[in-house]
Amino acid sequence: MTSVLRAENLGKRYRQGEKEVVALEGFTFAFPQGSTAVVGPSGSGKTTLLNLLAGFDLPTEGGVYLGELALNRLSEDQRAEVRLKHMGFVFQQWNLIPTLTAWENVAFPLLLAGLPPKARKERALELLERVGLLERAHHLPSRLSGGEQQRVALARALALDPPILFADEPTGNLDATSREQVASLLFEAGEKRTLILVTHDLELASQADRILHLKGGRLVRVATPAPG
Amino acid sequence: MEILSMVLRNLLARPVRSLLTLLGVLIATTSMVLFLSFGEGLRRSLAQELTRVGPAIQLVPEGMEGLGFSGYPEITPEEYRRAVAAGKELGVRSIIPTLFLVRGGFDPQTSFFFQGLPQGVAPDLLYPGVKVREGRLLPSAKGAIVGAKVAKRSQLSLGSPLRLSPRVELWVEGILEESGGLADNLIFVPLKPLQEVLGTQNYTALLVALNPGQKAEEVARALEASLPGLKAQTTGDVMRFAERALRISDLVRFGISLVALIVGGLLVANTVMMSVYERTREFGVMRALGAKRGFIFRLVVLEALLLSSLGGLLGLLLGSAVSQAINLYTLEQVGLALSAVTFRLSLFALLVALGLGLSAGILPAYHASRIPVVEALGRV
Repeated sequence: MTSVLRAENLGKRYRQGEKEVVALEGFTFAFPQGSTAVVGPSGSGKTTLLNLLAGFDLPTEGGVYLGELALNRLSEDQRAEVRLKHMGFVFQQWNLIPTLTAWENVAFPLLLAGLPPKARKERALELLERVGLLERAHHLPSRLSGGEQQRVALARALALDPPILFADEPTGNLDATSREQVASLLFEAGEKRTLILVTHDLELASQADRILHLKGGRLVRVATPAPG
Repeated sequence: MEILSMVLRNLLARPVRSLLTLLGVLIATTSMVLFLSFGEGLRRSLAQELTRVGPAIQLVPEGMEGLGFSGYPEITPEEYRRAVAAGKELGVRSIIPTLFLVRGGFDPQTSFFFQGLPQGVAPDLLYPGVKVREGRLLPSAKGAIVGAKVAKRSQLSLGSPLRLSPRVELWVEGILEESGGLADNLIFVPLKPLQEVLGTQNYTALLVALNPGQKAEEVARALEASLPGLKAQTTGDVMRFAERALRISDLVRFGISLVALIVGGLLVANTVMMSVYERTREFGVMRALGAKRGFIFRLVVLEALLLSSLGGLLGLLLGSAVSQAINLYTLEQVGLALSAVTFRLSLFALLVALGLGLSAGILPAYHASRIPVVEALGRV
């Protein structure tokens, strides 16, 4: 299966009482390798788009395709398997499992994939070293700073070396130093992958290879930032 | 970091709640084990006693089956003679008439149980394996052989007088070794003085000893056919009668303990449900990362199973310990171990605890595995 992710005429509508709300409409785009930032004001449809692209939710119109595979024709468990094998996620609120240590959080997707315990630990420690947190491997998330938790989350997203990486406001809750660190690691990881970055932060978005501007649930512009 | 370890850590992350739930299951299981252990104890004691009773068949008046020797003597000398004649025809070894008398009220600590035996019959014919510790085993016409516990409790020694009535007095001629059975609490005396006290020539029961190779059931049915008004009970009949009564009492006791079990189950369900609500986001993250619904379901069910099986195991251990303590008391009081935590009871208790956990965990687990990912992650 090729790992090109594309959306065709993607739309999501839902009812809010008597009113029909259009969260996303007519979104068509094929995400190439490299980084793509999705920007737009609140309510522009960024979160809805990410939910649909990742298979967290189903569209009311159009479809999401991974190669030839239509995500919206798959069951919940089949979509979970696609996510496990092909996608990694970094969320704004880190979302680490609080009862697991840093290395165990990183190893969690490897557990789901059925890797043996020794291989899981080796891979998790290798990734933690890559994000500069090897010495914090045995700490619980509650003992890590926000920036450290986000780096653990990034290591977890890369655990199974997925071709697609989603990042939803990955620096939204971080201070300036951590923001720099996380952004640098994220774009480095995105170089050989399809990185889809949803953000309000135009400075962060400007580091991406292309920027999709959403407004009122529609794709209004595709821009390529000037190098430099 | 295996699934079980994840479940355990989640329980340890909320120690007070987990401990309280564990205590609930522990108390429920302990009470069930104790309630049911009395039935098991009675079964075991009865089976042990019956194997210690020598004669394989007991002839008792009709309507007195299963009541042991507690009834008033109703078997007449004429019926005894007819029984002896019938026994001869059937080739039985012997037919021994016996009589019971209780003196001193209902408190086992202060009452005396006398068993009358014909002249020339020693207690070991009825209770194989009993041995004399002091004196003799076969009482004379005015003698009594005393069980070890009665002798100790009432401080009886060789030569001690036993006054059955103002006119009938016997003397201790032998004291038995402690056997752990019914004989420890009995005083064996000749039939005649007992009949004199009761003012009757009748007997409570006739004990039929068989020759090797004879089948108790066949002989019992043949004796019944030739002795109208008498019922022939084999040890198997007694066991079956007792088993029926014990099963009914088991059901009643299980019914009572079911209340505690239901409360325990609700505690587990409540704890797991609360844990599910608190961890909705966590489950959402797991699903987002690629966990299937079955993984979440297993995680939650395992939590309920771990709580209930641990509570069940500890409850079983506590129940066994309390059962031992009860037995120490009842052995001292009535010479019988009334409670028994048998293998099948232990297995039953553990299975009930597991069933409890499973049924308490299924609903929260189903709920947890069905929460839409976007809702669980708060991304609506």
